[in-house]
Amino acid sequence: MAIRVDPEQNEVRALERVTNWRGKRVIELGCGDGRLTLRLARMGAFVSAIDPDAKLIRTARRRLPKRFARRIRYHVGKAEHLDHANESFELAVLAWSL
Amino acid sequence: MVHALREAHRVLKPNGILIDLRPALVHRRVGIERAGRYRQLGTLREPLDDDRAANRSLAHVLRAGLFKAGWRTQFDCRRVMDSLSDFQTFIDEFITLGTDLPPHDWLIRRVERALETADGKKKIVVKGPLLMNVLRKLDVADEWATRVSRGRL
Repeated sequence: MAIRVDPEQNEVRALERVTNWRGKRVIELGCGDGRLTLRLARMGAFVSAIDPDAKLIRTARRRLPKRFARRIRYHVGKAEHLDHANESFELAVLAWSL
Repeated sequence: MVHALREAHRVLKPNGILIDLRPALVHRRVGIERAGRYRQLGTLREPLDDDRAANRSLAHVLRAGLFKAGWRTQFDCRRVMDSLSDFQTFIDEFITLGTDLPPHDWLIRRVERALETADGKKKIVVKGPLLMNVLRKLDVADEWATRVSRGRL
């Protein structure tokens, strides 16, 4: 059985207080296996999710449900050198990675 | 860390929001939950140096005028595991992530004993608050105005 992180979804409730995520373009730095990425997509965000660990990105891609395939893009990369253009996102989330 | 924050600033739209979400600067508590009751067995002795460094990095970019502090909140976060091997995986992940975690065999043994002696369905629960910092991107013009208002120019 896997480890269940925050089954009460306190994290989602806190994030919902920040903004309305629907339709927002979000960059998530340090996405790991995509646990939080899926939560962000469920709130309606379009997420570009980055992690330096290729193995974790492979896991995240494997777990990506089809319904979120157009909302989430996983990339292997470092937060210190992003390939994205200036001023591309409304939100940046540092997920347990600072 | 500061480089990552600078990159986040670069890719954020004007007035964009940066969210820093991570464990709060406290050691996590480990216990067993059975029939809705929690019994603490010990506390993880994970080093908190990275968290302190993260705080310093945030303070640095705030001072540099890249962001302004929004609000900050803290809330409970539980990790729930059904077996000792899940708990062992959880401990191993610290090491995989490069954390200099001291040996926790004593805690693993304690959890094992508690699982053996408790009746009924039980879960291993690791508790620790999460910290969320919300920052707003400042543009160069904003930074200029802020410094003028503070009399720094």
